[in-house]
Amino acid sequence: MSGHCDGGLRSNIEPNCLEKREIMKKTLNKMAILLLLGGVVFTAQATTPEEDRAAFVKHYKFRFPDVPMEEYPNGAYAIDKIGRENWEAIEEFPPYEPFIDEGQEMWDTSFANGKTYKDCFSDGPGVASQYPRWDKKQGMVITMALAINQCREANGEKALKYKKGPIVPLLAYMAFESRGQVTNVVIPEDDPRAMEAYEKGKKFYFTRRGQLNFSCATCHVQNTGLKVRTEVLSPSLGHTTHWPVYRSKWGTAGTLHRRFTGCNRNIRAKPMKAQGEQYRNLEYFLTYLSNGLELNGPGARK
Amino acid sequence: MNMRRLPSVILLAVIMAVVAAPTVAADAAMDPKAAEVMKQIDAAEAARKKAASVESEWTTTGKLIKKARAAESKGDYDKALGLAKEARLQGEIAYQQGASQSELRIPAYLKY
Amino acid sequence: MTISRIRLAQAASGLVLLGTCLVAPAGASEGSSVVEEGKGIAFSRSKGNCLACHMIEGGESPGNLGPPLIAMKARYPDKAKLRAQIWDATTVNPDSAMVPFGLHRVLTEEEIDKLVEYVWTL
Ligand code: HEC
Repeated sequence: MSGHCDGGLRSNIEPNCLEKREIMKKTLNKMAILLLLGGVVFTAQATTPEEDRAAFVKHYKFRFPDVPMEEYPNGAYAIDKIGRENWEAIEEFPPYEPFIDEGQEMWDTSFANGKTYKDCFSDGPGVASQYPRWDKKQGMVITMALAINQCREANGEKALKYKKGPIVPLLAYMAFESRGQVTNVVIPEDDPRAMEAYEKGKKFYFTRRGQLNFSCATCHVQNTGLKVRTEVLSPSLGHTTHWPVYRSKWGTAGTLHRRFTGCNRNIRAKPMKAQGEQYRNLEYFLTYLSNGLELNGPGARK
Repeated sequence: MNMRRLPSVILLAVIMAVVAAPTVAADAAMDPKAAEVMKQIDAAEAARKKAASVESEWTTTGKLIKKARAAESKGDYDKALGLAKEARLQGEIAYQQGASQSELRIPAYLKY
Repeated sequence: MTISRIRLAQAASGLVLLGTCLVAPAGASEGSSVVEEGKGIAFSRSKGNCLACHMIEGGESPGNLGPPLIAMKARYPDKAKLRAQIWDATTVNPDSAMVPFGLHRVLTEEEIDKLVEYVWTL
């Protein structure tokens, strides 16, 4: 249980271990109380986000004992040697580079009303680690893509499409400027709806769907490291660190929600709307799992 | 035409139209198979929507319904009937799939 | 399962096969065409697409999410159990990753019958 406190997260070793000890302590307390009550039977108890994350970390550490935590942002290439060689060759001349340049131009160009993105994102373009976040006023999870469109609409510009197109270069530039930041999703305790959103995302992740009856977990937890045809199934830890992604199969770069759509379609499940409530909650849960992992977007994948 | 007779001509036309309309509709409904096909397509559509209401719709179901409509419009009622029935069954199973998982269950392979 | 049990099962199925050939040589060719059709269903990407997850002798770029389809008669002495596994494996194990080909109507009853005949030869 304490095994993964010594190995991994470069920048976050201390807080994670402290948190873990906290959890252990709390769990022990709970158990003591239960013993006092005299053999109270409890079934599937709700788990805290930190317990969820710890379970995923434990699972992958058991599966891939030689893979250090900081490798997980590289997806399947953290665990697939052959795929990794190709990927490293591709990264020599990153196919996403033109997107970063184009995105910077967009960032620097003012809207018709004279304002710019900087007026909405006061900390500048490198803010990916602030998303997704719970917005108490709006009562919903706000992703970076959604924040971009809210900014545009507030300034009289048309919203951009969420799966591909001009939003991608802008996200690529912002991701690039955020490289080296660490995933740090917070679920605020002063608003129970935030935890609800997390729980809904978790539920979505574990629900089997489509005619083929898979959940995200079937592929990315139960069978991670194994292959569907020639595709090695990546761990979910690190799934959110590197978006948008230039995908050879797409022949262009796309967003995380485009990937969700594809993963749903492959199992013959009707995809949800990009940036709709379901996928935003899913992103909230999925990104929480990667807490402590470094942001390394934009990325390149097969 | 005599202008004084115009109102009664119009009246006659209106009456004829009103009388004729249901007859035309009845013509289309003459083939009981066509009516059955439409009933089955509606049922399939309802089943698809019910599955969607629990976020469990399959991509295959809507496609079947589309094909059923196309077959129906070509008058290929047997084919349309088969497709619509298949779509309805799929919708029902997909709903079951979603409804049976209304509570989160962490799979046994993920150990806490 | 022990090797000897596998051998025994194989021997037993061999005997059954032999028996079938002796008693009804005409039925054999009919059977093999069913097996051929089953193989077509197994290899077709839009039908069984078994190769997405299972290694099968003679199949190209198989996945390994599921176990290799070998020694099937030994692993499923009871053909009905094999059929049930293809029909809906989650009744036995709710976390099974196997597609419920029958329950979810991915394949028809007939297609599954043919598939079972083929898979049982592996
Ligand atoms: C049938 C198996 C399957 C299911 C079910 C599935 N995926 Fe995937 N997923 C894949 C494959 C294959 C890839 C590409 C190889 C890889 O990176 O794993 C992939 C890739 C991804 C990626 C990109 C990984 C990267 O490094 O860029 C994300 C994110 C992802 N899936 C999320 C999900 C989510 C969320 C769900 C549930 C809604 C899901 N997947 C369901 C098979 C699946």
